[in-house]
Amino acid sequence: MRVRFWGVRGSLPVPGQKTERYGGNTSCVEVRSAAGTRVVVDAGTGIRKLGKELGTDADAGRTDVHLLISHTHWDHIQGLPYFSPLYQRGNKLSVYARKRDDLHLHAVFASQTDDPYFPVPFAEAQAEIAFRELTDSAKFEIADVKVACARLNHPYIATAYRLTVDGASVVYVSDTAPFTDILFEDEFVERPPSPGAELPARDRQKLARMRDGVVRLCAGADLVIYDTMFTSEDYQRIPHYGHSRPSDAVDICREADARRLVLFHHAPERTDTEIDGILAETRTLAARDGGALEVMAAYEGLDVELGRG
Amino acid sequence: MEIAFWGVRGSIPAPGPSTVRYGGNTSCVSLRPKNGGLIVLDCGTGARNLGMTLMEGVFGQGRGEASILLSHAHWDHIQGFPFFVPLYQPGNRFHIFGGAQSSAMLEGILEGQMAPQYFPVQTLKNMGAGIDIAAIDEGAAFQVAGCTVRARTNPHGRAGALAFRIEDGAQSVVYASDAGYDPSGPPPASVDLYRGADILIHDSTYTPEDGRRYADRGFSSVENAVDAAIAGRVKRLVLFHYDQDYSDAEVDGLCARGRRLLDERGGREIELTGAAEGATLAI
Repeated sequence: MRVRFWGVRGSLPVPGQKTERYGGNTSCVEVRSAAGTRVVVDAGTGIRKLGKELGTDADAGRTDVHLLISHTHWDHIQGLPYFSPLYQRGNKLSVYARKRDDLHLHAVFASQTDDPYFPVPFAEAQAEIAFRELTDSAKFEIADVKVACARLNHPYIATAYRLTVDGASVVYVSDTAPFTDILFEDEFVERPPSPGAELPARDRQKLARMRDGVVRLCAGADLVIYDTMFTSEDYQRIPHYGHSRPSDAVDICREADARRLVLFHHAPERTDTEIDGILAETRTLAARDGGALEVMAAYEGLDVELGRG
Repeated sequence: MEIAFWGVRGSIPAPGPSTVRYGGNTSCVSLRPKNGGLIVLDCGTGARNLGMTLMEGVFGQGRGEASILLSHAHWDHIQGFPFFVPLYQPGNRFHIFGGAQSSAMLEGILEGQMAPQYFPVQTLKNMGAGIDIAAIDEGAAFQVAGCTVRARTNPHGRAGALAFRIEDGAQSVVYASDAGYDPSGPPPASVDLYRGADILIHDSTYTPEDGRRYADRGFSSVENAVDAAIAGRVKRLVLFHYDQDYSDAEVDGLCARGRRLLDERGGREIELTGAAEGATLAI
């Protein structure tokens, strides 16, 4: 399989010279199996360029894209109205995301293009669009690709996905806070708790179970793409925004015996040089005590070949 | 009056090496009137950089005050609002003006962007700064930061987009982003709004060819912008709101094209500038 990164940024797109190398588009990762199955995780602004690459097939109405959504915060869905295959009859798009009590998935996406926010209503998209709502630990297949899910610790709740095909596995873990200081259920937590403060036993147990689920999802994976938006300072200041540090990702990957970690969902203010520095530090951390975990930092255009084909 | 450009792109932010010179952020322009106040025109992603710059001054101490004029609520004109950091600083005050049938509806539009399924910071009410919101009564002049502002709706999408004329004493700036005129050109009321302006910041999303190809999208080509500038006999035309796929070289071409069209069509005395992120203009 081939994993390609179309958008690696969190929060909002950040054009400019300081983000030229790693890229300023928001989250979008494409996984393509040797047999040609195309699964895309998240639809940040990076998906616009994927739409262009699909080019002639999409123009002819021959593309079939499966889109897994981690959660529906803007930086994970804002590119979808600019995904050109939507507007060509014959193309197929299946959108998967966690089922919620409060809103149907279809409504979340349809409101994005409602008046007065966007000129073309969702109903005018010509592609055949299907929505599939998932439970927290769903397992299903998309042609030759096996998909497994786990719940993450993020405001409004996010889902991690493991994709297995061609004898290899990639896991997408974004967005999530560590599983220690704060339990996110549905809504945003207004005030930062103090990291390290004692949590109610019920929250602690729930977080421990959630963490186990993520470690199991990453077990033996060839590639783990992980939300590492925060530095330690960010985490001290705004732990309630729901993101992890590179050290959190390293801990999970080492415990899960994953082969390679990809730092992902870079903060909008992080410059290329700063990401270089974070990557170097994380490599040192991962190699401690003879650790074999490889570390890379996601950049726009990065291709990783895994397993067969 | 000083004008600064924070985002000059249309539709969707366009990061990447091919847009670094003109910039890839969506629409946001700031005006500093002579009296030292602040007016912000639209809140595309460019508003994030404006906000961070403002935080270095009085806005960082919770003593800032600004007016925000919103042309319309398409994403590329409001998506930077939740990332405009001075809004989270208690003590700052913001007056927001935009097009809607009522102030409550305008508030609802901004709240809708921050619904929990989309954004994790809850509501306008707990952002921190004092925020008041007013729907604009088209045609009636109102006062903002010591300036007189008039608004007029240009054809664009389902609800149109407001163009603003801001007068600071004898100086005048018009902001007319997102204007899809019919083939006869800008309507007389729009030309009235533009008339004699020192600076007309005008939608120039497309080349004339792309403009004809995408005529149903409600945007101007550089040719439409030139015709509007000539009809209003403005002093300087600023091209703005470039298509997300245009590279810096293509925007250079758009500017050269604009200059040539001005010269050919009787606008030789009108100056032309291509808006670029980080650039400023003074009257």
